[in-house]
Amino acid sequence: MMGQTSGAKAEERPAPARFAGMSEFFQRFSLQFRVQHIFLFLSTITLIVTGIPLWCLGRPGYSWSQAVVNAFGGIEEIRYIHRAGAAVLILVSIYHLYYTMFTREGRREFIQLLPRFQDVKDVTINSLYFIGLIKHRPSFSRFTYYEKFDYWAVYWGCVIMIGTGLVLWFPEVAAKYVPWLTYELSAEVHADEAILAALALFIWHFYNVHFNPSRFPGTLMWWHGKISSEEMMHDHPQEYYKTVLAQTKSKGQKAEPQNGAAV
Amino acid sequence: MKNGLMAKAILLVVILATICVAAESEKRGDVTDGSRATPIHLIPLLVEPIPDKEPDQIHPGDEPVLPFSTKATCGACHSYDTISSGWHFNAIDPNVAPGRKGQPWIFADPTAATQIPLSYRAWPGTFRPEQIGLTPMRFLEHFGRQMPGGGIGEMLDRTDNPDESLRVGITGQLEINCLACHNTNPGQDMGSAAGYAIQVIIRGNYRWAATASCEFAYVTGSTKGLANYDFRAPFVSSDLKVKPPIVEYNKGVFGHNDWVRFDVSKEMPKQRCYFCHSNVDIIDGKTEPWKADEDVHIAAGLTCVNCHSHGLQHNITRGYAAEPCDSNNILAVKSSCEGCHLGKNSTTPIAGRFAAPVPKHKGIPPTHLDKLSCTACHSGPWPLSQTIRTKTARAHALGVAGAKPGDVLPHLTYPVFAKGQDGKIGVFKLFWPAYWAAMTDDNVIPLNMDAVKAATSKVITKTALPKVWDWPSLKEEDIAKILTLLASQVSAGAKPVYIAGGKLYSLDEAGRLASSEHKMAAPYLWPIAHDVRPAAQSLGVRRCEDCHSTDSPFFFGKVWVDSPVQGKGGAFIKMMDMYEAGGPVYVRVNWFFKLLIIGVMTLLIMHIMGDLYRRALLWLAKKFR
Repeated sequence: MMGQTSGAKAEERPAPARFAGMSEFFQRFSLQFRVQHIFLFLSTITLIVTGIPLWCLGRPGYSWSQAVVNAFGGIEEIRYIHRAGAAVLILVSIYHLYYTMFTREGRREFIQLLPRFQDVKDVTINSLYFIGLIKHRPSFSRFTYYEKFDYWAVYWGCVIMIGTGLVLWFPEVAAKYVPWLTYELSAEVHADEAILAALALFIWHFYNVHFNPSRFPGTLMWWHGKISSEEMMHDHPQEYYKTVLAQTKSKGQKAEPQNGAAV
Repeated sequence: MKNGLMAKAILLVVILATICVAAESEKRGDVTDGSRATPIHLIPLLVEPIPDKEPDQIHPGDEPVLPFSTKATCGACHSYDTISSGWHFNAIDPNVAPGRKGQPWIFADPTAATQIPLSYRAWPGTFRPEQIGLTPMRFLEHFGRQMPGGGIGEMLDRTDNPDESLRVGITGQLEINCLACHNTNPGQDMGSAAGYAIQVIIRGNYRWAATASCEFAYVTGSTKGLANYDFRAPFVSSDLKVKPPIVEYNKGVFGHNDWVRFDVSKEMPKQRCYFCHSNVDIIDGKTEPWKADEDVHIAAGLTCVNCHSHGLQHNITRGYAAEPCDSNNILAVKSSCEGCHLGKNSTTPIAGRFAAPVPKHKGIPPTHLDKLSCTACHSGPWPLSQTIRTKTARAHALGVAGAKPGDVLPHLTYPVFAKGQDGKIGVFKLFWPAYWAAMTDDNVIPLNMDAVKAATSKVITKTALPKVWDWPSLKEEDIAKILTLLASQVSAGAKPVYIAGGKLYSLDEAGRLASSEHKMAAPYLWPIAHDVRPAAQSLGVRRCEDCHSTDSPFFFGKVWVDSPVQGKGGAFIKMMDMYEAGGPVYVRVNWFFKLLIIGVMTLLIMHIMGDLYRRALLWLAKKFR
């Protein structure tokens, strides 16, 4: 079946002849998608870099945090930067909601990112593939199950972090509408979720997109949004064949923008 | 015409009389010429006068040598009546507003398993001494050691006990000891074996107490065992065991005209205050041997009287925020934390008195200033995971010869965060009352201690008492026995109960002991303000999580529950129970997130390892194909 590869041989199998002459790169991510992602990671890294010293400040065993805070100019300054990052994150989140609800492109992407039963199958097949019980990798479509996990983890993280962060930022307003213990709870949850987000980002996400042997030392896909046909065929074969098929059908006709449409 | 002249003459007489009376109440020592220097007190020592006569002067060659009376000696130039209306002396006056509740006198007796708060002021949670059978004289025997005299000390004859009424003629009244506060000489002796406290509580030498306390006199002997004694006449008795009070003055103090120079001042040293207002913590069952840190105000060079000041009326400022409303003391506005540091409640700028820093409280949400008193963040010891035991001068006779060392009754604990009478959360000292009482409907009234001891002595034997002044080993069956014995002491319709450790114990209809919650079993708390910690040691100075965290002492600290009942002592309640806050939701949510981190990261890392493993297998297969 197309897209199902098996072991090393499958890795080396050349593209079918009918795909010869196709463009080398596909535009996987649109400008909107990329801009949102850039703002997202800039704000997230700012929040992590400023948040960790803020959390460590004054705790026994974290004396280094005072030096970091001083490097930022003091506790008030580092708080301002942290809150500025939070404001950017909130704006990106709000824009993304608008994007996924009110733009055609956004709606298409959102639907593609919705979890499906196929993803459960893919997890199972991939896990068995990892341990060698199955010879073929799952055939992924536009977004793999782990990319969908990345997306929804950010969704979860943003809800938690923005919610608890606002409580910490405006405790009096929060105290009017929520039980008094929310500040303490928010502080704990905010810190815990931040740890999870930072670990997931720097270990999991960075491995998948930059550090895994197929892509090491990294990829600039987040910048230009392009994916090579080989990579697309390997990682998203269903998407690849659907795109090429669409191209083939429309060959000679006026090109219409499609997901992953050829440049 | 004649009637008009008569009216004018009468009016003139009235005016003149008023002027004379005013002149009489305003003595020459009460009127200042404006000099800030302390006037030299080179004055005659005067004896307690015979009624309707002028007081006699004391000379070194007198026989017998008599004690001087502060009322006569100091009162010659200072209005004693005005002074005796002051805060330290007016507890017995029902017309004086009690103000914010403070530290009560705590009657503690381990043989009766009792520690009960007493006060002549109407402070909620306290009982009047007469309710447990303490007459004024018996009250002085227990607590006169750290009372400055006056007040109840000059009402010893107001008792239904005829014996005590007669004894006052021998012991004298306990006049205000002006030297207890105003004597700047380091030889002022309040606590030694011959000092003020022992004269009052052991020897019953009320008339001699002020004399014994000063640096130039020594008093031996006691009024105990004396009968038909006239202190002005030489004492003759064949009973060698009876030794009346004998005064010895340092003859060198008598100067020109046999006048004596007193080293007195308005700005008395802190040592004078410390004798009654000291505190020491108990660590590992022992009192801490040395207290190096002091209140930050003292360390900055202030003395107690810089803040706790007063005028001639001696209506000393207590320094709490609502005091301007409670008292008529015009100094109260600027003697509170807010007054000195923020200039609050004043029509003119007063912030910055005595170089008080004006805090900006930068970064603190304003709601803290509304909900917390200044003391919540700035006073008392830094809160730990549980409260600590402490002793105070007035509760434990600190500084008095023979005071019991170590961890003894009454058991006090602090710092406890709770809501004060003003609705703000502050820091308090706390103790759990334990006493025997009669309950009628829901009213609980303590029983007379004589009746209580008569009952408890039959059950609490000496073997049950520890060597130190501490709780006996009290079993529930002991309580039941004592309650049964006390049943005859309560009036019809009432039943005997025992309050201890936050519980009320009583016998049910079947005679079994039952315990329940009761408002009268609630702990007694009183707000504290000292020692004030420096700003760098205030709560929240490190981060908000000093208080706003799931293990902070402010919310989740443990408040020690003291009870003499076996198996009940040593328990704790959560600090947030003191101001009715709570909810274990945070624990469950906290655990959820901790497990989420572990679970999710485990799965993700396993996925990464799986991917790497597969890639490694493929690479090896390719390499060795």
